[in-house]
Amino acid sequence: MIDVIRRKNLTYGQFIIFATLLFALCFFGIPVVWLISAAFRSEVSLYSAKAFDWPDLVSFAESWVTLTTYNDFQILLWAKNTLIYCAGGVILSLIACIPAGYALALSEFPGRRLILIATLIAMITPSTALVLPIFLELNLLGLTNSYSGMVLASGFFPFGVYLTYIFFSSSLPKGVLDSAVIDGCSRFQVFTRIALPLAKPIISLVAFFSFLAIWANYFLAFVLLSDPTLYNLPVGLTDLVSSSGALSNLAGNDIPIRKPEVILAAMLIIVPVLIVFLAAQRFVKSGMLAGAEKG
Amino acid sequence: MTSLLMSQIDRERAEKSARLRNIGYSYIFLLPYLILLAMFGIIPISYAFGLSFIDTIDYVFYGVKNYDFVFADFRIMRSLTNVLTFVVFWVTLTVLGVVTLSLMLDNIGKRIAGTLRTLYFLPGAVSSSALVVLWIFVLDPAVSPFQGIMHFFGWETLADTVFTIGMPAVFMLMAFFTGAGGWIVVFGGALSGISTEVVEAARVDGANRAQLALRIKLPLIWRSVILMGILSFATGMQIFVEPQLMSMARGPFTMPDWSLNQMAYQYAFQMGDFGASAALSTLLVAFSISIALVVVFKTKFYNIS
Repeated sequence: MIDVIRRKNLTYGQFIIFATLLFALCFFGIPVVWLISAAFRSEVSLYSAKAFDWPDLVSFAESWVTLTTYNDFQILLWAKNTLIYCAGGVILSLIACIPAGYALALSEFPGRRLILIATLIAMITPSTALVLPIFLELNLLGLTNSYSGMVLASGFFPFGVYLTYIFFSSSLPKGVLDSAVIDGCSRFQVFTRIALPLAKPIISLVAFFSFLAIWANYFLAFVLLSDPTLYNLPVGLTDLVSSSGALSNLAGNDIPIRKPEVILAAMLIIVPVLIVFLAAQRFVKSGMLAGAEKG
Repeated sequence: MTSLLMSQIDRERAEKSARLRNIGYSYIFLLPYLILLAMFGIIPISYAFGLSFIDTIDYVFYGVKNYDFVFADFRIMRSLTNVLTFVVFWVTLTVLGVVTLSLMLDNIGKRIAGTLRTLYFLPGAVSSSALVVLWIFVLDPAVSPFQGIMHFFGWETLADTVFTIGMPAVFMLMAFFTGAGGWIVVFGGALSGISTEVVEAARVDGANRAQLALRIKLPLIWRSVILMGILSFATGMQIFVEPQLMSMARGPFTMPDWSLNQMAYQYAFQMGDFGASAALSTLLVAFSISIALVVVFKTKFYNIS
């Protein structure tokens, strides 16, 4: 009898678990699937009775042409800007993070603990808290509305320093480096010939997280850039929506940007990240664990 | 004797110069990062702090008048209430939702759990303005994939949905949608690290699934749950993008002073009062840094030894 109750309980428990997980799957999955399918629909089709409809390649092509050619290929310029900010920011963050994390992990020097604590504080403080102070400073230096201001600000990535510090602390024995020094290697040779070749996983990890932080950064670009030719995609998308009123259900202007074009513009921001996510899941797991679990 | 002394002095000199060289090399390795840390961490915070005591129109010392001005602004209390309501909603949902889903995923087959974790994680790709665009669609009963549910409740327009469930709840849904999956992945890792012997011993002692989850596994990951709560709280207080971009739907959705960060932005860009903006930014940064200091010094989440 007890066995039967237990079995029933188990079935009931399993039902609760699967129902909850399925509910969560709908919450997380349906909006993403809808967005992808909506990119293949016309404005009229979006308002049809069905929330999901078959993809229509003609509608997709029409929206794509309208979006990309609108205002002298403006969206492509914003995509190019985003790539420049990303490439510059990722390269700068690697140049700064990898040697810094290496030195913090494997050297003893005065000020080391202070730098480490400052890094952690900068890492835990949400980046949005620093945007307005950074604007006030760059405004003073005349670096707002410039590629260099955006790239420099994007290159500051304390999380990358901490990840590199954890990597070198746990995976490169200090003895190996000391014996290389005894064998006549200079400190730079030890770094370039021994540490860097071993650091490929952490370089990829820092590049990955740095890319994610810069690609969709809205607040920093919104505050630093007022020249539309310098916008990145997230700011460009809002500019497109605000000027066309495409999301307000109000007709009354000649701008050809409507809901399907807005969805496509949003997809331009999302799809590269989705691809990187799927290609680099392993990185995400190890990186997030290092960031939140170590110590 | 003299030569012995000389050689010892030489050795000490050589050691000292090697030590100094080591320190020099360490700082050369750190130099690019230290420049960025100064430029985008220390200097902007110090500059904003200094500016908060200046009348930025006549550039004279202003005492704490910028702070007085901020506290006297009737919108500040409203923004603070908005943000706190959102943070309480979001942190509660994140802690309960992420822990529940993580413990449940740990209870099913590894392969399907891995697939589900990936699927929960994918909305993390939808962020900033794309996130708000997506949710404006999702909440609009005219086009939403959940329109069946909305019509059931009698909601016919975006305003019906948004103002029925309330702005803090709307932003909570957005933030949970994009952020929960990452934490579920983290907790998946933490739970898989629990010794199978401990779980087996509890099972032999007669613990059922619920008891295993709540009495054995949950206490073992509790520290990480607290860290998640603290970090979510710190991030939530800085909310800017979501309320700012609801203006894309125009009309009643334009809320330029909904959150505290929006107020700081308003002071600088709409009123041209950089002093007041610096004062409010300083308060927000000070709040975030206080939380960071507590995390660094009062917990052992991060390794600084």
